[in-house]
Parts: sequence; structure tokens; C-alpha cells
Amino acid sequence: MSHDVQEWRQYLCRACGLIYDEEKGDPDSGLAPGTRFEDIPDDWECPLCGVTKTDFELFEKPVVVAVEQTAHFSAEPGIVVVGAGLAGWAAVEAIRQLDQSVPVTLISACSADLYHKPELSVAISRGLDKAALIQETGVDAARRLGVQLMAETFVVGISPSLHQLRTTRGSLTYTKLILAQGAKPALPAQLPPELCWRVNDLACWSGMQQALAKGPQSIAIVGAGMIGCEIAEDLVRAGHRVTLLDRNASPLAGLLPEPASQRLRDSFAALGITYIGNDDITGVTQLDNQQKQIRFGSGNTLEVDQVLAATGLMTDNRLARIAGLDFDRGISVAADTLQTSQADIYALGDCINIEGTACRFIEPIKHQAKAIAHGVLNLEASAYQHSAPVVRLKTRSLPVVMNGLPLAGVDWTLIHEDADELVMEQRFDNQVIAHLKVGASTQTRAA
Amino acid sequence: MNSVAVSSITAPWTDDAKVLADVGLIAREQLAPAAKRIDEGYYPLDIMANLGQAGAYAGHLDQHGCRFGLAISAMSEVSRHCGATGFMTWAHDVCGLYMEQSGNPALLTRLQDHTAGLTFGGTGLSNPMKALTGIEKMALTAKKVPGGYSVSGTLPWVSHIAPGQYCGAIAAVNRDDGSRSHEIMFLLDLDERVPLRACPEFSGMEGTSTWAVPLKDYFVSEDQMIADPARPFIQRIRGAFVLLQVGIAAGVIQGSIDSIREAEPTLGHVNQYLHNRPDELQAEFDELAARAMVLAETPFDGSKDFFLDVLDVRCQGAELSLKASQSALLHQGAKGYLMNSAPQRRIREAHFVAIVTPAIKHLRWEMAKLMREEVPA
Ligand SMILES: Cc1cc2nc3c(=O)[nH]c(=O)nc-3n(C[C@H](O)[C@H](O)[C@H](O)COP(=O)(O)OP(=O)(O)OC[C@H]3O[C@@H](n4cnc5c(N)ncnc54)[C@H](O)[C@@H]3O)c2cc1C
Repeated sequence: MSHDVQEWRQYLCRACGLIYDEEKGDPDSGLAPGTRFEDIPDDWECPLCGVTKTDFELFEKPVVVAVEQTAHFSAEPGIVVVGAGLAGWAAVEAIRQLDQSVPVTLISACSADLYHKPELSVAISRGLDKAALIQETGVDAARRLGVQLMAETFVVGISPSLHQLRTTRGSLTYTKLILAQGAKPALPAQLPPELCWRVNDLACWSGMQQALAKGPQSIAIVGAGMIGCEIAEDLVRAGHRVTLLDRNASPLAGLLPEPASQRLRDSFAALGITYIGNDDITGVTQLDNQQKQIRFGSGNTLEVDQVLAATGLMTDNRLARIAGLDFDRGISVAADTLQTSQADIYALGDCINIEGTACRFIEPIKHQAKAIAHGVLNLEASAYQHSAPVVRLKTRSLPVVMNGLPLAGVDWTLIHEDADELVMEQRFDNQVIAHLKVGASTQTRAA
Repeated sequence: MNSVAVSSITAPWTDDAKVLADVGLIAREQLAPAAKRIDEGYYPLDIMANLGQAGAYAGHLDQHGCRFGLAISAMSEVSRHCGATGFMTWAHDVCGLYMEQSGNPALLTRLQDHTAGLTFGGTGLSNPMKALTGIEKMALTAKKVPGGYSVSGTLPWVSHIAPGQYCGAIAAVNRDDGSRSHEIMFLLDLDERVPLRACPEFSGMEGTSTWAVPLKDYFVSEDQMIADPARPFIQRIRGAFVLLQVGIAAGVIQGSIDSIREAEPTLGHVNQYLHNRPDELQAEFDELAARAMVLAETPFDGSKDFFLDVLDVRCQGAELSLKASQSALLHQGAKGYLMNSAPQRRIREAHFVAIVTPAIKHLRWEMAKLMREEVPA
């Protein structure tokens, strides 16, 4: 009976950031509203990415007091956050948890609406559109958190010596600056931007979603990395004819050992996804009938209705260059404070690089935001500790879960193999550095 | 009248410091006393000729070492004492740029006199610059005729022109079915075929000799051709075109800071309560100027990032002109509000910097366009 008196709790998926709310349950997978986390069966899977209960943790929703929207007059210009993706909003939330009155301005090139980006790779087969994905509008969130929002505004220049920021809606000054500008799709020259969709933000995804909503179509996905693989499955489930292209012989070859990659390829084949490997794309052009023609190094060609480029991400170095920030394929930040090489400028999320590597996942963001909030408010340090997040491929037909950080060139040891499951490990200096599990999910087995 | 011992017109103006000193002297001794008159309508071709002989219009040209930094600094010296003449210096400079970059021998022959301030010409590119980025429609249209083109239409508001002078212009070439084929750029000679039409009165900078230019079947010969097609040419020079404008803003800003400092000895005790104090403005200006000077090293860099940097300094220059000129008036108080005071004139000059093409709103619009990722339609 204690359930009746205990408050509803929420649990956060460490792999994709989904929140399981006991009050709402997950009726789609048979969990009635009111199902306590401990009562969930062990083989239940995250409805978004498919990890099991053990990868969830208790989520204590920050109680943030809304401050009234009166204009602050302060000699201190306040904190300015650039970027309203998950990282920018996480920074704002973390600051407001600690301080309800410091002036905060959030500037974003996009509309600043809150959405959970990992959902973009599974949303089309679920029949979702942009409106369904928006969890809270930017305007509402700004009001709730008492921040001044400058949406649809690009930051074009930063002058650290003046603590000045220049935008396409005028310039402003900052006391502390937090960069959360994310990363951009890295498009090779052979893939013209006007012909190839990308899925790295809600607006561009929505363009593709609307184009695909007209009816079943043929689509080529260029790049069989994590996002390319996830979306290939999403689109084939939505009834489209999908061809997945990569210069490697099998998908996710950069991350997975050969046997795992081969299983993924087989699983895709079973779903009806055509995989074309070992061929470089030399160009894409639009034909008179509006189809796109892809040309390959081998001389082959392929005609499709849509092309999606999933060829990786890179951080735009413009702001870092102008502000004189150390940059190495990402904005370099101190591993514990996330401060950049300039005083009073911090950075987090997809745009950063810690000790030479980027880590473009959800899980680290809230910890980074917390450390930065302490830093910008000059509070006792709350040092950030980086660790590799669990990586879970949201391919429902063949779940792939990677723990740790695999190293290229280090051998994989087979731990277990049968028709349903493959488990492998990478060891270095007698330590397990990466653990990989590839296996048919319980959802598919049950189905 | 000419109080400066300027080098002969064939002098190559190799010494930056000497050019700046000579230009500064002419600006202080000749322009500053005439600034009010120029603001009200006097077109100072006499002083502009002296500036030309001092090398004010040469620095940015390849023939003179592609020293864009020098050209901007010289323009700034002029604008510091008279914003209207600073603006005409810019117009004259870009006209020289068109002539030189055209590679057309007929125009190169005319360039020397232009550079030395013996002949004068401006730029009618406000409308086409906006038209080419999609802000408004192209005012002039051209038809191919034997030996050249025939151009019709009216260019509104071209400055630094007069009968016998010239300006750069762009016209759209249409196909027979009315669709656009391409654009041409040419040097428009304002001879007897071109009646200049007066513009409505402006609130300031009336001495810039600004006219509407109606053309009817105006024949453009090969000798006048700057670029056919015009787009690749514009693409190549647009960074340099916009970057040079920073010189106009720089002078207005520095002039405003000068006026603030003038008031310090007598009014410092009350002026301390104002915001945008001179040291703050100077710090922002110095940082801006330093960035502009770095860009001036590579004026023909065709990258998107470079052009964004140029738009950014140009925009910041306009914003800082507004801020500095207003602050100067507040610092000088009633004295700055007198009809013949420099601060009140600079308020109007600063607003001109903010609205002349590309205006602050165009600059921000263009920057947003460049920053946005292109996606399938
Ligand atoms: C399809 C897909 C699926 C994913 N799935 C998972 C998953 O399952 N698990 C997981 O951990 N991670 C996943 N990720 C990665 C995760 O979503 C990202 O790491 C995270 O969302 C990054 O957030 P961010 O705020 O740093 O960047 P972004 O969301 O890219 O936000 C950047 C913000 O900066 C703004 N901006 C950029 N430049 C400027 C400028 N000059 N001026 C002003 N504003 C600017 C943008 O408008 C935007 O608001 C996935 C990513 C994608 C694309």
C-alpha cells in the first residue's frame, strides 16, 4: 500500500535520455499508468532506444522556481547562452536551479523549441511530425525559466576583450558566455546541400518527413554510421524503399568488429534494406523527373526520390576562430570545468572536444551543464568527470549495445555466440575497455 | 588654397605614413572648416582633387600595392572631419576598383586621372547590390545591340556624380521571352545623353551631389564595359566593396570620440555619469579597427567566412557610429546641439552609415542568409 502514498518517480534512460514516468507508464509496451519502476519486468525495454531497466537511473526533476518576467536592471550584463539544443537548455536549467535571478539570455539560430533529438531517428515509422515532437515551445520554456530568448538569431562574432557578442539582431555584452552551438553535418563536396537531406535538427528533419509523407518513396541513405543505420530501419518500417550506402563493406564498420557488423547487415537485409558497400559516391544530380541520380566510383548509378546524407558531424569553427578559442575539431575545454581557453567562456554538448575527442551523446550533457553552472555563478566547484556513455543503437530488429570506448586496431575476443546473440570484448592491458552485445531484442522475439 | 606640399601626381604614394599625414592635414585644414557647407549642399570637388593628389584614392588599387588598410585609414581621416566627403571618398575608391578590376584597357587608361583626383566618378550599385541578393528588383535593363548594349531604366540616388563625370552601373540583360539572361556591369558616362534629375532634399550630407539617373536607350560601348557577365565580377569584389565602407564609419566614430574628449576638461565632472564613455568607445573602436585591418590584408578572399567577417565589421561599424555619435552629443550638451556643431552633424552622418546600402538591416539579413544551412526545397 505504500505505493499510494509515495510520490510518482521518474527514471532517465542513460542511453538516449528518455524519461519513464511511473504515473504515465508506457501503455504501448503494456505498462499501465501507475506502474512502479520496480514492478517493471526485467526484460522490458526502453521504448525509444531498447536498453533494459538496468540502464535507467532515478531522475530527480529539478524544482525550478519561475521568476517573474520583469526586465532586470543590472550593471552586470548577465550570462549569455548560445544554442538552444539539449545542451543550451540544460545549461539554462542548471543555472536556474542554483540562481533564480541572475539575468540569462539564450540566443539560438533555431526556433529554440524543446525536443528530444534522439527521437528523430525513430519518429517517422511512429507517424510523428514536428508538432508531436515538440515538448515545450521555446517561448514557454523561456518564460518558465525566466530567460530572455533571442530565437532565429545567429551569433556572428565574439570579442572576448570587450565581452561582446554580435548577432543578426544586434550586439550585446556578457559577463559569462556559454557556447552550446552543437555540431553540423559534415557534407562531402559530392553531396550538394540542396539535394541531400540531413537529420541533425528538427527543422531539417521535418522537411524530410514532409517530403516522405507524400507516400512510399525510394530513398538512399549515404553513410552507415549510427544515425544512418537507425534511420534506415525507421524508414523501411515506415514503408519506404531504403538503400543504405557506405564505402565500407558492411554497416558501422568503424565501430563494430566484423562479425557484429555482418549480423547488422544480415538483419537489415531481412528487413528489406538494400546495402551497397565498397563504393564511393562521385556525385549527385537532379534529373528532369525530379529524381536524384547518384553516381559511384565503380561507374554504377542509382536513381532515387530522396537522398539523406548521414556522413558525420563536425563543429563549425567560426565562433571559436573569431574569439581566439583553442579548437581541435571541436572547441577545446578543460576536462573538469569545461572552460575554454578564454576567461569567462565555457562550452558543452556536441560542439566541444575534451582531451582531443568529441563525445556527441546525451548522457554527458547534464553533468557538463551542472559543472558550468557552478563555474559561471562562481560557486564551489562541481567538477565534471568524463566517462564514455553507454552506446545503444536504436535498431529494434537487432539491438547493439556498446559499453566503454573501443579502440581502433585492438582485437576483439569472442565471449559468446549463438543464433540470437553475439557478445564480444576488447581488452587492453588486461582490462576490458569495451563490451559489445549484439542480439535479437525481446520485443522482436515476442513479436 | 592648397596648403599642402603634395607630391606630383605621378608620385607612387609609396609611403603610407606620408599619405596619411598629407590626407590628415587636408582634412583638418580644408575639410573641417567646410564641413557644415558640404553638409548643406556644397560639392567639394576642389578639396577632393587635393585629396587625390595626396594619394587618398590610391592605396587599395593593385597598381599601388593593394594596400586596403591604407585606403581605409585615409578614408577614415577624411570622414573624421566630414562624413559626406568620407562617403564620396568611398564611392570614388570603389569606382577606381571597378575600373582596375575590369581589366578593360580603355578603362585602365582612364584610371590614372581618376586615382589622382583629376576626374571623378561614383558608384550606382546600391540598387543592383540589393537586387543581386534578392532584396529588390533591378532598375536598369539592357538589350544586346551591334557593338554593345542599349540600356534603359532609372537609377535612383547615385552620389558623387555630375555632368561630365561617371559611375559604375549594372543592368539586367533579358532574353526575347523576357526571362533574365545575365547582367552586365559598365562605366556609365554622364554625357549629354543623360539628364540628371534632382533628388528630394535629404536631412544632411547634401553636398554629396546625389541624383536620379534616367536612361533611355543609352548605348554602352565595349570601351565602357566593366564585366559581362557581371555576377562573377561582383562575387569577386563584393568583400572589398563592403570592407572599404568601414573607413566611413571609422571616421565618424573617431570624430565623435574626439568631440567627447574635447568636452572632458570642462564637463568631465558631470559627464562621468553618462554611459558610453570615451575610453569604452575607444576600446571597442580599436578592437573593431584591428579586425578590419586584418581583413584588409586579403580583400579578395572569396570564402563565405571572410565575407561574413566583412559584413560583421561593417555592421558593427554602423552600430558603433550610432552609439558614439549620440554619446558625443550628450557629452557636449547644448554646445553639441548647435546647428553648426560637429556632434549634431555626426548624428546625421552616423545614421547615413547605418542606412546606406548595405544598411544594418541588409547586413543582418545577409549574414542570417549566409549562416543558414542550405537544405532541399
Ligand atoms: C538522429 C539522431 C539520433 C541521436 N540519438 C542519440 C541517442 O540515442 N543517444 C544519445 O546519447 N545521443 C543521440 N544523439 C546525439 C544527441 O542528440 C546530441 O548529442 C545532442 O542532442 C546535442 O545537443 P546540443 O545542444 O549540443 O547540439 P544541438 O542540438 O545541435 O544544438 C545546437 C544549437 O545551437 C544553435 N546554433 C548553432 N550555431 C549557432 C550560431 N552561430 N548562433 C546561434 N545559435 C547557433 C542551433 O540552432 C541549436 O539550437 C542523436 C543525434 C541525432 C542527430
